[in-house]
Amino acid sequence: MSKSKIKYSSSKQFIEESRNELVLTEFEVLNAEATNFPGNHYGYDDTWTLEKFKKKLKINIIRIDNLEMEFDIIGVDPAVPNAFRRILLSDIPTMAFDRVFMFNNTSIIQDEVLAHRLGLIPLKADPRLFEFRREGDEEGTPEDTLEFELKVKCSWNPSRTKDHTNPEDLYRDFRVLTSHMKWIPLGGQKDLLNSDAVGPVYDDILIAKMRPGHELDIKLHALKGTGRDHAKFSPVATAFYRLLPQVKLLREVEGEAAERLQKCFSPGVIDLVDAPSGGGKKIAKVNDARYDICSRNVFRHEDLKEDTVKLTRARDHFIFYIESTGALPPEVLFVEAAKILSQKCRVFLDELKSGL
Amino acid sequence: MDPLGKDQEPQKKQPMVYICGDCHGENELKPRDPIRCRECGYRIMYKKRTKRLIVFDAR
Amino acid sequence: MENRRLVVAREDEQDDRMKTFIFKGEGHTLGNALRTLILKNPDVIFCGYTIPHPSENKLHLRIETKEMSAVDALREGLEQLQSLSDHVLETFETAVSDFKSKQMEV
Repeated sequence: MSKSKIKYSSSKQFIEESRNELVLTEFEVLNAEATNFPGNHYGYDDTWTLEKFKKKLKINIIRIDNLEMEFDIIGVDPAVPNAFRRILLSDIPTMAFDRVFMFNNTSIIQDEVLAHRLGLIPLKADPRLFEFRREGDEEGTPEDTLEFELKVKCSWNPSRTKDHTNPEDLYRDFRVLTSHMKWIPLGGQKDLLNSDAVGPVYDDILIAKMRPGHELDIKLHALKGTGRDHAKFSPVATAFYRLLPQVKLLREVEGEAAERLQKCFSPGVIDLVDAPSGGGKKIAKVNDARYDICSRNVFRHEDLKEDTVKLTRARDHFIFYIESTGALPPEVLFVEAAKILSQKCRVFLDELKSGL
Repeated sequence: MDPLGKDQEPQKKQPMVYICGDCHGENELKPRDPIRCRECGYRIMYKKRTKRLIVFDAR
Repeated sequence: MENRRLVVAREDEQDDRMKTFIFKGEGHTLGNALRTLILKNPDVIFCGYTIPHPSENKLHLRIETKEMSAVDALREGLEQLQSLSDHVLETFETAVSDFKSKQMEV
C-alpha cells in the first residue's frame, strides 16, 4: 500500500477519486491503473453501451493550423485515444519516394545515402487517390506511381571575379533543393491531378551540396505505403496525447510563499491576486492548470509539500495533439484514423459472419 | 563477382577513360599502357562512374 | 482457410465459453481497444490479449465468459468498437465544422 499522506473522509470518496483522477504525489503516481470494469466497484454500472457513450463523449477543438491541431477528447478509456494515436503513426497511408533510379551521381554523397535521404522527403499528394503497388510490380502504373525527375548540374558562375570567395557567387546550382524536382505526369495524371497539389511539401529542403562538375541525374518513383512498413510513410511528425493536469490549492498561501509556489508551476498556472483581507498582501490562486508540465516541484519545499496543493490528472480527459508532415491536414488525418479503426472491426465482423 | 574481368573483357582494346588524381584531366588508357597522366605525370588514376542505371530502394 | 484473418487457437477446446482467437496482421492497436471493451461486458470473466512473438504479426485474444459464448462476446465487442469509432468520427467532424465556422465569424 502507498504511504501517501492524502486523507479521505470516506471510502466512497476514495473510490470516487480513484475512478476519476490520478494523484501525483512526491514519489509516486496513485490510481494509475483503470478499475472501471463491471463487478469492480459496488454501486457503479461500468457496462459499455452506445447510449451512455454518446452522452459522455465530448470533443473540443482548441486549435487547427495547416500542419498542427490540438483538441480534447473527454469521456473515453485510454485504449481509444491510444488506438487512434497508433493508427495515425503507422496505419494511415501516404506517398513517399520508394524507388530511386540513379542514372548519374557524381556528387560526394553516396548513392545509397542519397536514396535514403530522398525517401524521407515529405510529399504532398493525396494518398486516397492512389492504389498500393502490387507486390513484384517493378514498372508501376499511373494509379499507383508518381514519377519525379531530379536533374541538376553544378557549374562555375560565369560572372564570378577573383575577389569572390562565397559559394553563392562562385557556383551555380551548388545546392540541390526539392525545388529542383520535376513532376512527370504518367498516363492521365495530368488531367486528374493539379500540379500544385503534387510535389514536395517544402521547396527548400536541402538534398545535396555540389561543386562544379558534379551532377545528379535521377528518376524517382513515389509509392503508397504505411508507417508500419517504413517511417517515411507516416503521415505525422508526431501524434500524442496527455491527461489534463489539475491543481487544487488546499489552503491560502500568501506573500513570499505564494511567489515560490507560483515558480513551482509552468507560467500561467498560478496567479498572484490581492488578498481579500487587504493590506497589500498577495495570495496564490490557480488560474489554468491545462498547460502545466506536472513537474511536482512543489514537493521540494518543506512548507508547501503537505496540505497545500493537490496535483491530479483527469482520468478520462485526453489532450490530443496531431502534427502532420503536410501530406494531409491534421483534421483529415484524424477522420481517416477513425475510419480505419471502424474498418478493422468490419473486416473481423465479416469473418465472424462467414463462420469460424 | 568478377574483379578480374575475365568474363567481360572490356570491348577489345577499346581504351578506358580514367581521371587523373592530381589535375582531374581525362586520360584514355589502353591495356598495358603505363598508368601515368599524360598532362602532369601523376600516377594515381580514378575510374569514372559507371554509365549504367543503378536502382535503389529509398529505405 | 489460408487467407482467413481470424481463426480459433486450440480447436479441441470443447467449452464454447472459453476461446482464444488469433487475429492475423493485428497488434496492440486493435488488441487493447478490443480487450477494454470486451471487459466491460458483465458476462465476461476474463479477457486478455498477447502478441506471442514480436516478429510474428499475430494477436492472440482470449475470452472466458459466464454464460454467453465467447464468439458472441467477441462479436459484441467488435460491434461496440465499430460503433464507438463511428460515433467518435461523427462527433469529431461536427466539432471541426463548428470550430471552423466560428473561426470564419472572427
